[in-house]
Amino acid sequence: MRNHPERWIHRVAAELRRPVRLDDEFDRGVMDAVRAMPRHGHRPWTRMLRARTITVSPIVSGIAAAILFAVALSAGHFIGALRANRASGRVDVATDRSGGTKPGVRHSVQFVLVAPTARKVQVVGDFNDWDASHQEYVAQHRGGGVWSVTAAIPEGHHRYSFVVDDSLWVADPAAPRVLDDDYGLPNSAIVVGGGDVAQ
Amino acid sequence: MSRSLRATVVLLGLSCGGQLVAWRVAPAQRGSDARLARLDSTTRLVVAAVVDSARRTRVPTEPLIDKALEGARKGADGTRIVSAVRGLYAELRSARAALGTGAATDEITAGANALHAGMPMRTLTQLRSVSQHAGRAKVTLPLTVYTDLIARKVPSAVASDVVLSLARAGLRDGDYAMFQRNVRLDIENGADAATAAQTRARGATLRNVGR
Repeated sequence: MRNHPERWIHRVAAELRRPVRLDDEFDRGVMDAVRAMPRHGHRPWTRMLRARTITVSPIVSGIAAAILFAVALSAGHFIGALRANRASGRVDVATDRSGGTKPGVRHSVQFVLVAPTARKVQVVGDFNDWDASHQEYVAQHRGGGVWSVTAAIPEGHHRYSFVVDDSLWVADPAAPRVLDDDYGLPNSAIVVGGGDVAQ
Repeated sequence: MSRSLRATVVLLGLSCGGQLVAWRVAPAQRGSDARLARLDSTTRLVVAAVVDSARRTRVPTEPLIDKALEGARKGADGTRIVSAVRGLYAELRSARAALGTGAATDEITAGANALHAGMPMRTLTQLRSVSQHAGRAKVTLPLTVYTDLIARKVPSAVASDVVLSLARAGLRDGDYAMFQRNVRLDIENGADAATAAQTRARGATLRNVGR
């Protein structure tokens, strides 16, 4: 009697292990039913949508949070800087070394200085970053001590000066002056474009 | 998690942390304009900080960079450049406040120059209001004329009255240019500066009324 349950278990197990003989018709019927079912689970988006459990250690989750915070902060600063630039009317400086560095609509402006003893006359101002190394701002001697240069200047208010013989700073005698005593050398003002008509 | 993967994650985290620290510590250097390379390192750092402040407070930054570049070109030392840039920043803020939020960059720049020359903020606000009422889009040219009058020794009160009267009369760009030229020639010919400005302003106003 003690071995009675074990014998039963062995008999049941032997019965379950015995191969089940099914006819071909049954197999075909099952496969047809499977093929008729809608396909799912193979597209990428279904994989993305499927819920799953991920195990992350505390240190990794902390680092991930720090990275996310840094990225969010950087994005915030970037957007803030863009807005500030737009609000202050500043446009990124173009690297147009041939004609100055200021963007915007340009107008031809003639600069004239009478300097009979000069050997070289240049125009420098905020329209060329106070850098007279460009040929466009070097005045030509027209004879009789008259020097002139015509340059394309962006619209707006500008301060400028003549530099004679690379050393002497001279304000344009015909232009409005700027009371600009920060560096002790004179400047003139020019307004290119205008403000006649209200928009 | 494998050891190499863990090391990569830690390194990435440290790199992001370092970037964050750098971002917070050196905002001035981050926004530095390449043209400021002409300045010495200390001056460049201070000027860049002022420019960064201006950007955050929505004050035009280009005039500040121009002021620094002008100083470098004129051979000014760093202390002088920093002082000039800081002074201009304060004037630009005041000019923007006086002119209102709709003012263009060149108006704010000309306004800062006018304030530097002695124009009261109240007059600046009044000038913009009067000009707009007379149909003028910008006050850049009247402000430039004011600064020129001050540079030619016209007293500030007289110069303020003159530009306000010209603005009320609705002068055009050409009229302002002619007025400035006439006053300059009068003064160069020996006229008293205040008298020349007042007389020429009366003439320009009458001429404009007759149109």
